[in-house]
Amino acid sequence: MKKINIIIALLLTITITMAQEKGSVLIKNGTVLTVTNGTLDNTDVLIRDGKISKIGQGLSAPNGAKTIDANGMYVMPGIIDAHSHLALDAVNEATNPVTAEVWVGDALDPLDVGIYQALAGGVTTAHSMHGSANAIGGQCETVKFRYGEIDPDNMRMNGAPRTIKFALGENPTRVHGGGNGILPRTRMGVEHVIRSSFQQAKEYMEAWNDHNSNKSKKGYKGKAPTYDLRLETLADILKGNIIIHCHSYRADEIYMLMQVCKDFGVDKLVFQHVNEGFKVAPELAKFGAGASVFADWWAYKFEVYYSTAYNAAILTKNGVTTSINSDSGELIRHLYHEAAKSQKYGGLTDDEALSLITINPAKQLGIDSRVGSLEEGKEGDVAIFKNHPLSIYAVPMVTIVDGIVRFDRENDPADMRLYPDPEEKIDVTFWEAEDHDRCMANTEFLFTDK
Amino acid sequence: MQKRSSLFGCVILLLLFVLLPDVSIAQDSDLKPVTNKYAIKNATIVQAPGRIIQNGTVLIENGIIKAVGSSIAIPADAWVVDADSMFVYPGFISGLSNIGVEKPEDKDEDDDRKKTGNPSDERAGITPGNSSREMLNPGNKSVEDFRKVGFTASHSVPHNGMLPGMGAIVLLGGTDGERMVVKDQTSMFAQLSGAGGVYPNTVIGVMAKYRDLYRKASQARDYQAKYNSNPNGMERPATDATLESLYPVISKQMTVVFKAESVKDVMRVIALQRDLGFNLMLGEVKQGWDAIPAIKATGAPVFLSLDLPEWKEEEEKEEKESDEEEEDKEEEEEKEPTEAELEEKALKERQNSMIENYYTQAGKFRSNGVKFGFSTMEVKSKDFKTNLLKVIENGLSEDQALAALTTEPASILGVSNMMGTIDVGKMANLVVSDTAYFTKDANVRYVFVDGVKYEYEEKKKKKKKSNGGEPVDASGTWNYTTETPQGNGSGVITLKGTPGDYSGTITVSFNDSTNDIENVTVDGNNVSFSFKLNMGEEITVDISMDIDGDSFEGTLSVAQFGSFPMEGSRDPQ
Repeated sequence: MKKINIIIALLLTITITMAQEKGSVLIKNGTVLTVTNGTLDNTDVLIRDGKISKIGQGLSAPNGAKTIDANGMYVMPGIIDAHSHLALDAVNEATNPVTAEVWVGDALDPLDVGIYQALAGGVTTAHSMHGSANAIGGQCETVKFRYGEIDPDNMRMNGAPRTIKFALGENPTRVHGGGNGILPRTRMGVEHVIRSSFQQAKEYMEAWNDHNSNKSKKGYKGKAPTYDLRLETLADILKGNIIIHCHSYRADEIYMLMQVCKDFGVDKLVFQHVNEGFKVAPELAKFGAGASVFADWWAYKFEVYYSTAYNAAILTKNGVTTSINSDSGELIRHLYHEAAKSQKYGGLTDDEALSLITINPAKQLGIDSRVGSLEEGKEGDVAIFKNHPLSIYAVPMVTIVDGIVRFDRENDPADMRLYPDPEEKIDVTFWEAEDHDRCMANTEFLFTDK
Repeated sequence: MQKRSSLFGCVILLLLFVLLPDVSIAQDSDLKPVTNKYAIKNATIVQAPGRIIQNGTVLIENGIIKAVGSSIAIPADAWVVDADSMFVYPGFISGLSNIGVEKPEDKDEDDDRKKTGNPSDERAGITPGNSSREMLNPGNKSVEDFRKVGFTASHSVPHNGMLPGMGAIVLLGGTDGERMVVKDQTSMFAQLSGAGGVYPNTVIGVMAKYRDLYRKASQARDYQAKYNSNPNGMERPATDATLESLYPVISKQMTVVFKAESVKDVMRVIALQRDLGFNLMLGEVKQGWDAIPAIKATGAPVFLSLDLPEWKEEEEKEEKESDEEEEDKEEEEEKEPTEAELEEKALKERQNSMIENYYTQAGKFRSNGVKFGFSTMEVKSKDFKTNLLKVIENGLSEDQALAALTTEPASILGVSNMMGTIDVGKMANLVVSDTAYFTKDANVRYVFVDGVKYEYEEKKKKKKKSNGGEPVDASGTWNYTTETPQGNGSGVITLKGTPGDYSGTITVSFNDSTNDIENVTVDGNNVSFSFKLNMGEEITVDISMDIDGDSFEGTLSVAQFGSFPMEGSRDPQ
């Protein structure tokens, strides 16, 4: 009884905080996997006010800073997941093939206990994405896993570039063509939807440019184009202010989107899933498009049968910036293991394999100058492992975000929910598993018989 | 012959239509009170929080408070309410509700699947031009339900959608919807609800649509203003009733009252407000305690929900008892609780400490200096008082609670000069209870709305749950429904025999089984029994039914899994 009370008291002190906090911590004597500058034995990493201030030997902690003894342990950059639907209350606005104006940043759920579970897998940053129901879906949000914060603003990685979800192939054609009998019914239709949207945005942008350059002229009485948040967003893509992250599987459609982007002068492009990426690896490299893949997850629908566990390695060897993502609240807890699988199959070096879950996803999200490797001046996001993170025996021990310990295996209470449901029936039986793949969440209503 | 009868029918119909309105007017005049003067005599008068007159009199005439004090001469033609030992308070004001507002009929038409992305504004829940004034019905059940617990006025808004329409300050009385309105178009009501199957379907769609609409309206309004000042050479502005209805919001003449129950919704609404800059009130806030600093920064007044999770007092008591029992047992033999029991206990404790947040929140808003009243959008009128008393037990004083029901909403809604206190010249909105209102046993005896008296019987004490007494006749066929974590279940209980000697069967929808019941006991109006259910392995299910005539409420319990509510009724013989 007393024990429980203590645990609860402890919990309450760990959790509820309201600011984007930054901390200081000294990690002593670890094997430091910098990812970008090799491996440093017996080295200290000092994080001061949320930033890595020094990597070296014999460092001392500033006043009041916590010290973690990492002797015999591995210190790596916090893992970054370039494709997640964690911490979101809404994933798909599936009512229209183009919904560029919606933004999952409006639906952040800082109370999702999945965030803590991901921290327990060494993940510090994720790309929370709109789903794949629409050819042009909504804007996504790059979040840091500051679990314990209630204000959704404190989840955001402020300053991270804007990103948007596109989707090719079966999902958008199934939802809109199959479900509603409208465009796009086929892969050709998907291309048409994207092209015509870009064209409209181009015309909208040009009309505004005309208006703006004329409006200060004397006697000008023209009417401005009608404001439209959807076209505004699409125009921002054309201007290069938003990175496209496109759900895709087949080589032909991947190649198609690169052509469309070329035609409209868009060069910020990352493909997600990309199971047939290995077929167009040189083309991806030439375009400068990124690829975010699974290590060995496929065959869950027809377009995903032609797949290989060598995908990540082939893409990497061809010079494509490649990452391994989760797209799942479960897989996110062992991305280090997924990276190790790609290494095992494709013969990558340790640094190449670790790059798949650190600096490469950071590049794909445009945040590589801030996170993704252990370098002085970068943000203090660190994962500490017992055993090498690419080893089958790896165990994540401590996860640090902005110099604050957000997960510590030694102090890991059973109930880490922030807002337990006051009305749920307490039932310790596990009745059913939730569907892990949330890419098509919020679209169920479209598939009912009507 | 046939022709004649149809003609006859028409005449009758015509007569009915012509006569009906007349009939209702006649009824109105029949019901006119014999006097418009009332004197509430010898009462404890709480004029406003902290202002109390003992043994005072309130004099009402033509809907206005004429006099308040301890030595008031009572006119001969006044209806005197002998209010010895009674308490008089200003009538309560609901900060945000749908009281009196009729729900639009469900049209239930199939959506055109080709247009899910571009539905009509109405289908999308965007009807800012609607006004609750046009939908008021004094006969709506909510009016009487809330009046009888002490409410006399409400900030009532239309139902449904992300922008259902404009609110009005209405009185909870009268016979004429139009006469209920004290102040019209007081606010623009908004909520983060999706349109269900069409755009905007989700919260991300709603947020984007709100931004898009707001900016479109802002642009259209500017252009219209330019055009109005000199249209020469200018393209004629587009006309769009939806956008035009939003102009007063853009110019900040009208405040947006946003329903935001969860902490996430509160933060979302605040983010929208920061983006767009409209004047904001937050309504029906349930989980605001962690958002107090953010709310404070917006300066928005708040209406806190009184729809609170059930306070599980009984369970606490049971736990204490069982603790004691455990201690007794420990002396005899030390029995370690199982891991599952410990886990369940820890979960319960966390749940209880979470529930406490809901009840302490009003006190926290008060001590942090956030202006707030209470809203009654979700709370059932029968739970209002119970929940309010629990809030008072948890950090809000009675005076502060009264203020949140009277002076605070009056001030937030800009009607302080009309209502909220018992002062001479104010509208005669009063609630009279037989003892201090903020006590468990108090009954509301009179409510005055705009000077019109509504009288209530003293509530009879509820029948106590039976312990003994005449055994109930439970024989017959009972249809039941139950809610469990596996979903809703239903079935039929058949009881045969006489009290003390029942047998029968129960059907269970989970596995389509019919099971014999055993161990039937009858205690007064309670019937309990158990049965064995085969769900892969055999489990024992206990049923307890509290029978009231031909209906019952009860529980279905399974050891380890907990107990779940069930209810049902007896098939007529």
